[in-house]
Amino acid sequence: MSSLVEVKGVHKIYPGGSKVAALRGVDLKIERGEFSALAGPSGSGKSTLLNLIGTLDRPTKGTVSYDGHVVSTLDADPLSDFRLRSLGFVFQAYNLIPVLTAVENVEYPLVLQNADPKERRALAHEALKWVGLTEYAERRPDLLSGGQQQRVAVARAIVTRPSLVLADEPTANLDSKTGAQLLDLMEGLNRDHGITFLFSSHDGAVLERARRVVRLQDGELKADEVRAR
Amino acid sequence: MLRLAWRNVWRNRRRSLINVAAMGFGLAAIMFGQSLLISLQGQLIEKATGSITGHVRVQRSDVDESKFPDKFMADPEPAGRLLDQDPRIAVWGRRIHLTGLVSSPNASLGALICAVEPHKEKRLTDMSTYIKEGTYLDPNGKGIVMGRKIAGRLDVRLGEKVVIMAQAADGSMGAEAFRVVGIHQTGSESFDGQIVWLPLKAMQEMLGRPGQANQLAARVKDIDLAEAVALDIDQRLPPGNIRAISWKKIDREIIGIQAFQNGILTVVLVIVFMIVALGILNTQLMSLFERVREFGVLMAIGARPRWIVRLILAESLVLGSVGALLGLVVGAVLIGHFGRHGLHLPVGEAFSYFLPFPSVIYMIPAWRMHAFACVSVFVITLLASLPPALRAGRLKPAEALRHV
Repeated sequence: MSSLVEVKGVHKIYPGGSKVAALRGVDLKIERGEFSALAGPSGSGKSTLLNLIGTLDRPTKGTVSYDGHVVSTLDADPLSDFRLRSLGFVFQAYNLIPVLTAVENVEYPLVLQNADPKERRALAHEALKWVGLTEYAERRPDLLSGGQQQRVAVARAIVTRPSLVLADEPTANLDSKTGAQLLDLMEGLNRDHGITFLFSSHDGAVLERARRVVRLQDGELKADEVRAR
Repeated sequence: MLRLAWRNVWRNRRRSLINVAAMGFGLAAIMFGQSLLISLQGQLIEKATGSITGHVRVQRSDVDESKFPDKFMADPEPAGRLLDQDPRIAVWGRRIHLTGLVSSPNASLGALICAVEPHKEKRLTDMSTYIKEGTYLDPNGKGIVMGRKIAGRLDVRLGEKVVIMAQAADGSMGAEAFRVVGIHQTGSESFDGQIVWLPLKAMQEMLGRPGQANQLAARVKDIDLAEAVALDIDQRLPPGNIRAISWKKIDREIIGIQAFQNGILTVVLVIVFMIVALGILNTQLMSLFERVREFGVLMAIGARPRWIVRLILAESLVLGSVGALLGLVVGAVLIGHFGRHGLHLPVGEAFSYFLPFPSVIYMIPAWRMHAFACVSVFVITLLASLPPALRAGRLKPAEALRHV
């Protein structure tokens, strides 16, 4: 049976005068149900690899496959559809749409899926319930704390029941207590609902929580540690 | 999508309001200009045709100047029967328009002598409504109506006699005394100072041209049909040197004025639309640069590029709708106000040298033109937002998410 994600021989060279090689021949497999982290110092290629796995960018060389199907060569529209149905994203800066309320933000991927309005609203409320923000559903992002905004972002990421949620430095803008709470939440969602998480961080305390840590340095995979918990 | 578009538009309330105001007042200005022009042109046509020209005329085809057909039709009756039979014609009358001499005991003046069938002319033109002293013409009498200015120059008053002289059928000078029965005051130098009105019958007798006329003037029920009526009548006229023409071939200067005014309006329209387009382009470009990361997020969560394009176009549509609505309301209020109370324009005085033209214009809406302006605002808005929309659609998600 094929892995959920398979990254094979991926290189990423950013064009420009200096032609920076952000990734050099990375191979990686992510299995269903994992709660994994990409670790490494700034410039190690964590975000680049996360972007390639998230199909937000294309590798210069190599392939990214989901369930054995190469997705890194898909055209823009099928790639959008793939992200819409199979992936969820949590960003460092939350990146909620400021003019929409919490529940509308969570609902938005379902709007893009043309889901039935009543059904999608119910699913959005359910996702908010999972992240413990039911009573903040009608608030706009500017009236929520950073931790609450990131919880809304998690709810938005999971509302479509994706195969994989990618989180780029999800706790970097949060204080340690709120960051730990967010990790608790993500861990709970992984444990209770089987959602696969792959997040990047360079914070040791955050990496401690991952069951698998993939270490990158200078665009190369240096270590792949699986921890028993 | 529309909900998001609506909220995005009002995200930067001040900028959007400025834009909407620019669009709204631009559209209102265009509507006002269109209405003013239509009202002015309508008034001009109504006054020109309703004071002297008529909508359709039958006259000799070999006259030097269509406006003053000085050659006589030997037998106008076949043409008269055609006019009688056409149900689109409200009224028609025989006329003799000639230049001649008007003399009083104190002075002699050259004038345009208009001999008309008074009972028909009352429905054909509005000259009888300008009588300020005395009465209008009696069909069987030998009265004369003239403007206050020419009466002043001749130094004649109501009840006094003047002598009219004009070339008779045999080439001699026909002369006849007429008593002043009415003085009119139209406010027009030409009408008040250069024209006198007589009963047709008396004029025919004076000229030795019984039953003759040099024009048959008709008023049609709908002025828009004048051209078609003239064409139909012309085709059915017996062979000879008589033709039927509409006011457009007689008052050609009005068509020229219309074309000139329409040209100016078009230029103004283009300028206003360009300002609107630049405003929208500027707003959407600024909005795009401010929201690059947000578009990246939308793409990351699964929005297709064309969805982003549609979102920006929808935002422009919202801006355009609100702007157009504002423009329609402001424009309609302005037109309604000046439609009820009138607008005093110096242009009225300029026209009134040639015609009895009012200096107050009562504006009427030009709905088809307003609709065109409205649709144009929408189209311009969409076109102007297309470059930023397409640019947003070409963003790469990862790059957009890195945008600061």
